[in-house]
This record gives sequence, C-alpha cells and structure tokens, in this order.
Amino acid sequence: MDAWAQLMQGFQVALSLQNLLWCLVGCMLGTAVGVLPGVGPAVTVALLLPITTKVDASGALIMFAGIYYGAMYGGSTTSILLKTPGESATIVTAMEGNEMAKRGRAGPALATAAIGSFVAGTLATVGLTFLSPLVVQLGLKFGPPEFFALMVLAFTTVSAVLGSSTLRGLASLSLGLAIGLVGIDNQTGQARFAFGTPQLLDGIEVVTVAVGLFAVGETLYFASKLRATEERVEAIRGSIWMRVDDWRRSIGPWIRGTFIGFPFGTIPAGGAEIPTFLSYAVEKKLSKHPDEFGQGAIEGVAGPEAANNAASTGTMVPLLTLGLPTSATAAILLSAFQQYGLQPGPLLFEANAALVWGLIASFYVGNVMLLVLNLPLVGLWVKLLRIPRPQLYAGILVFATMGVYGMRQSAFDVFLLYAIGLLGFVMTRYGFPAGPVIVGMILGPLAEEQLRRSLAISEGSWSVFATRPISAGLLAVTAIVLLLPLVLRALRRRTSKA
Amino acid sequence: MMKGHLWVAAALFCLGGLIYWGSYELPTGGGYAQVGPGVVPRIVAGFMLLVGALLLREAFTGGFRGLDEAEERGRGMDWAAFAWIGAGLVAYGLLIERLGFVLSSAVLFAMVARGMASRRWALNLAIGLVLAIAIFAIFNYGLGLTLPAGVLKPLLA
Repeated sequence: MDAWAQLMQGFQVALSLQNLLWCLVGCMLGTAVGVLPGVGPAVTVALLLPITTKVDASGALIMFAGIYYGAMYGGSTTSILLKTPGESATIVTAMEGNEMAKRGRAGPALATAAIGSFVAGTLATVGLTFLSPLVVQLGLKFGPPEFFALMVLAFTTVSAVLGSSTLRGLASLSLGLAIGLVGIDNQTGQARFAFGTPQLLDGIEVVTVAVGLFAVGETLYFASKLRATEERVEAIRGSIWMRVDDWRRSIGPWIRGTFIGFPFGTIPAGGAEIPTFLSYAVEKKLSKHPDEFGQGAIEGVAGPEAANNAASTGTMVPLLTLGLPTSATAAILLSAFQQYGLQPGPLLFEANAALVWGLIASFYVGNVMLLVLNLPLVGLWVKLLRIPRPQLYAGILVFATMGVYGMRQSAFDVFLLYAIGLLGFVMTRYGFPAGPVIVGMILGPLAEEQLRRSLAISEGSWSVFATRPISAGLLAVTAIVLLLPLVLRALRRRTSKA
Repeated sequence: MMKGHLWVAAALFCLGGLIYWGSYELPTGGGYAQVGPGVVPRIVAGFMLLVGALLLREAFTGGFRGLDEAEERGRGMDWAAFAWIGAGLVAYGLLIERLGFVLSSAVLFAMVARGMASRRWALNLAIGLVLAIAIFAIFNYGLGLTLPAGVLKPLLA
C-alpha cells in the first residue's frame, strides 16, 4: 500500500532526535498557549515565523503543527476550570465541563477531555493519512479555474458559516483581501497601495496583522472591560482518574465525536465550532440521562472535545493537499510553508514527499506526547491559570512587540501594530470575527494568481468559470451557502404572515 | 439607530470607495492574461462597497444583527486602561531604537500592567526587566534574531 510505505518513511523523519525535540517543544508551547487566556495558536505561530530562517523546514513545520493541535488540548483545561472558553471550539466544554468541575469532578472532566482528544487526534490522523493521497489525485486534475472556484468557496464558508453574522464575517474578509493587495504585484511588479512608503512595498506582514488583531486588540478589549469581568478558577479536587462508569460513558462519545468532527474539518467549511455543537446535541439525544446535560454530564465533555480535535486535524487535509487554509491558524501555517518557498497543494506531495509525510507522522507522535503532557502533568498547566491578569497581558504584549519589531527591525511596524490593534478592538467591540481577515490576506493573493492564470488560459473570457463543470459546481455551492439563509428567512417571514 | 454601528459601517464603505479610487491608476489590461494589476483591487473594492452598504442598512434599521448591544454597554468601558496600553505601545515604538529592547520592554510591561490596575510600579518594572533579559538571551543568542541592545550594550554584549 502506497500511503503505508510513505507513512513509514515519514516516521523516519519524525522520529529523528531533532524532530522529536521540535515536536515536543511545539506540543508544550501549544498546550501552554491553549491554557493561557489572551494568547492562542495563531499568534504563537505568527510570532515564531522568524525562526524559519534558522531552522530547517521539517523541524519548524512539525513544531508549528504541534502548537496548532496542542492548543486544542490545552484549551479544554481552561474551559473546564475557568469557564472562559479559550477558543470558540471549546464553548460547549466550557458549559458542561465547568459544571462538572463545580461538582468536584474536575479530574474526570480533564481526563475525558485529554483522552478523548487523543483518541480523536489519532483517529483523525489515520483519516488524514489515507484520505490525503485520494484528495491529491483529485487535486492534480484541477486547473487554475477549479482552484480559484475552490478558494472562493473557502472564503465564503470561512466568513459566512462562523460567527454571529454572515455580513460581518464578509466585512472582515473584505478587509483581509484589501490588506493582501498592499505591496508589489508579483506578476507585473507594479506597486499597489503602498502610498510611496518603502515599508509598505513589501506588503503588510501577516505577523503584524495576526498579532495586532489577536494579541493587541484582545488585550485592549479585555483591559477596558476588566472591571466587569469576574473569574474563578475551579480547583481540582479528588482523583483525576476516571471511574469505570466514566470510561463506559465516554468511549461512545469519543468515537462519535471523531466521526462528526473529522469530515467538518476536511471540507472547506472551516473551524471546529459547529461539530462541537453537533456532537453535544447528538450525545444529549442518545444519552440515557439527558436530564444531566447542563449539569455536568461527562458525555457532554467527551464528545465535543473529541469533535474539535478531529476537526482541527481534519483541516490539515485541505491545507496540505490543496493549499486551502480554513482557519486563521491554518492560514498562518500556510505562510510558514511559503517562508521556505513551498506551496502546499497536490504537487507538494510529489516534490517534498519526505517533508509532508514526516509532518503527518509527527501528528501520531505529537498526540502521544500531548496525552502525557495533559494528563499526569495537568497540575503544571493549571499553575499558568494563576498568573495575575495584569502581568499575564503585559507579558503577552512584550512578546508581541518583540516578534513584530524583531522581524525587520522597524519601529514603523510597532506603530502599525498599534493601529491594527485599535482596529482589532473595534472589531471585537462590534462583533466582527478576526479569522476571515487572516484567511483573506493570505489566501487572497493566491486566489488572484489563480484568477489571472485562468483568464490567461481562456484569453480573457470570464465564462471559463461557468463552462468547466467542477468550477461551476463549486461556485454554485458558494452561491447556495450565501443565499440559502436569506431565502429561508424570506420563506419563514412569508409563512408567518400568512 | 446606533451611532457606533453607523460609524463602523460608514468607515468600511468609505474604505471601499478609497480602494476603488486608488485602483484607478493601476492598469487593468496588458500582458498575456489580459488582466492587469488593477482588476482584482476593483473587485475587492466593489465587494467592500457592497458589504459596507448592507451594513449601513443594518445600522439604520435597528443596528447590527446578532449583537447584544445592551450587554456590551452594560459592561462599561475603561478608557484609562485603554489609554495606558496604547501609551505603552507608542512609548515602545519611540524608545526601542534609543534605549534598546530590554529597557523599552520593561517600560511597556509596567505601563500595560498599570493599565490593568496593577499599581506596583517597582515590582512590575522588575518583572518586565527579568522577562526582557530572558527573551533577549533566548532570541539573540539561541535563535539568532537580532534585537537591539541599545544603551545596555556594554552589559549585554
């Protein structure tokens, strides 16, 4: 079997001493930033992008990926003990897990989250291993029009499906696309929107935008609402181990959660948020004690935690095989590949097989490491939650400015960071999601390239997108995603009037 | 009608207009592709104008949908915290090339902490200093990122 042989070669890369160390560093950092409020995997990977000039590609990418899925493990700890979901994908855990913690069952809640994440992460990696070669085969048949249509679909779903409002998601996307325009057009060398400023000719760095929106914007928002915020860290009382009964009630939700989460991650619908809600609803329906839900039912932690981990591993399928990022962190991972002059997509599997398969193999290794880091060593991470907020956020900003300034030693970037932070503050205040900005600015220039290539093939005729069946189909799906909610709402209004 | 919503929607709409205006100097044709560097900016600008217009309509008709404005207002707004953190970042931008990484980071640390109501200046400056020295050591000597040593050069080099 081809995938099997490739994977074995991948393990040779992933199990080298050096890469094991990078994997461990990534998993530890990921868990830490997952636990800490105010800093997430997107900012962390963005801040570490400069190391790509010093570390070889496989080491750096293995570490970045470790941060990405490690944060999912760490995030559940915070949700359970603090009830502040570190990420939108852990909202359900924050409800149900925190109820368990209040009832003195923090231990089993943490355990079922960690083991469930491990089961889901590992199964989803198996899925990634065997699905990727198939998607690559499909992707090799794609031409520029198909890729362009696929990117348009990804833009839409990333902005429209997540968050509280489709319109505000699209507004964020338009900002991201606009940021992506700044700098030299890489096909003609024409400067665009640089306003004669040499610092803008190279474009706006994703580090500055991600750190500005996520770290500075968040800090400004959190600090200005500090007086109205109340936080209580639940202590872990009693054993952290699960009873036989807990195991019996967790296994089903873990498996089901995985099978709900993984497909959601792989289609360009983006994000791990929806599958967690789905998994929660399914478990509530299947449970023999639905009355316990909302008051600390272990199934309500086990299922969603498996679902969000499976989904986040699932997002690696479109990222690696088609070069399509469906979350902010995935978009920054894509720009990490670009730092090495690599472009994820079907060709990467041929040209850099050792790198890709080494990365996939490292997911198996990383999940084992994370299980150990998050279960017996959970007490260590809980201490991070005790860092007083003023010093925590002050520290986050020291790291943020260091990363942004250190990138090109330019004080201009620090002021730009503050400006983007103010933008991030306004966006958070008025409910605009930050993710589509990042996806837009990174995927936008790639989509423009595919668009212009498509039109070169068709000699300038825009009909090329409608006459090729796959691209027409993808664009039709995009239209449905955008218009279906409007049609449904209009229908409902009509029926309620009648 | 919500004033804040109106401003935000209007800002996005105007930005779309500015981008459209800015794309006028960019050629739309030429080359093999028949698609010059000016085409996509126009599409982006048009998209932004459309989204901005729809947001303006929401703002005029009861405010942005799906946003709990009452809850948001109920939590108040601490402008002092907001200003301290902003001042910290501006100070950092002004000081980094003069004082160097370690001292400007310590100043930033103390100002952000002050913004979040921690008044122990000496302690915060000390923590900031230790943190900055640790980062300087790791990134400068470990990872080879060059951070400016500034006035502490004789001590750090």
